Amino acid sequence: MAIELHPLEQFTIERIIPIHIGGLDVSYTNAALMMTIAVIFVTALMVLATRRAALVPGRWQSVAEMLYEFVSDMVDSNIGQGGRQFFPFIFTLFTFILFANLLGMIPFSYAATSQIIVTFALAAVVFILVTTIGIIRHGFHFLSLFVPHGVPKVLLLLLVPIELLSYFIRPFTLSIRLFANMLAGHTMLAIFGGFAASIGFLAFFPTAIDVLLVGLEFLVAVLQAYVFAILTCLYLNEAVHLH
Amino acid sequence: MSERDPPDPLARLGERIDRARADRVRGPTPVADRSAIQQGLGLGLRIGVELVVAIGVATGLGWAIDRWLGTRPWGIIVLFFLGVAAGMLNVYRAVSGISTPVGYRRPGADGGATRPGQDPWDDDEN
Repeated sequence: MAIELHPLEQFTIERIIPIHIGGLDVSYTNAALMMTIAVIFVTALMVLATRRAALVPGRWQSVAEMLYEFVSDMVDSNIGQGGRQFFPFIFTLFTFILFANLLGMIPFSYAATSQIIVTFALAAVVFILVTTIGIIRHGFHFLSLFVPHGVPKVLLLLLVPIELLSYFIRPFTLSIRLFANMLAGHTMLAIFGGFAASIGFLAFFPTAIDVLLVGLEFLVAVLQAYVFAILTCLYLNEAVHLH
Repeated sequence: MSERDPPDPLARLGERIDRARADRVRGPTPVADRSAIQQGLGLGLRIGVELVVAIGVATGLGWAIDRWLGTRPWGIIVLFFLGVAAGMLNVYRAVSGISTPVGYRRPGADGGATRPGQDPWDDDEN
């Protein structure tokens, strides 16, 4: 009884509505569909929960308020002064990633954040925004970010490239972290699920592991959204309050 | 009987509330602790990727430069080591809580005068 295991099959991109514009494949895929659903869910949650806002919040309203307060605290404590104007951006980013991650946890759905191009696009937006804001706010002085202070001139030859590299690596770390966590988690679930399907009555053990892993994956889904948002805050803080 | 009893259930209720309150303090993790755990987890998940990606991206960049300029193998060698350094720098910054300033400058380190009562390593955000 050979059941073939394809733990990576779940990440296949399928074109739902094929669209080709001038040789470019811009088809509407299953990943795009999941992202659309995530956006709709977030919007619906925020709009419906606050439409009939009450002093004593109902269930949905408290969910929305908790989300709001969580992100609000994160922005205040990590960017501080002048951070409020970035709140809508951080909030959008956090809720979008959170919902995309959590929607991916629904069986037979699709985790859009397990595609590196999706996470890289998000990270690139953050990177470009941070750099642009740094340059707008500080102009040429922004480059002092790459020059460590109080270091002998000779060492600068070595340190400036390192600083530059560690700055330009950010979009990669930011995107690969999220992508790798989602990919690894979902692959692991599929592998243990495959074991369970192929070993008959012993299936109890891999199933038990899978049950535990699902819990872990929920944690990872929330935590990775949090990490992405908090790193965005830290980067923004740096660009706003250049030392 | 009914005249003597009423204070009793109330007193017992008071006791129960007190006990429940005491349990609550000891019981599940207090909010402050929970946010500390959350931050610790966030940090742990952060730094794992940092080093690997830095080395990978830098080496890839070195390889691309080599291909472009035909300087094989120097680009890949130099950038590999730069990548290791950048990765370690990022990890160091992440764990020592000074991820905020990219430069080495810390508040107080500039003029040499540290504000009284302030740990120079402790970066305050503003």
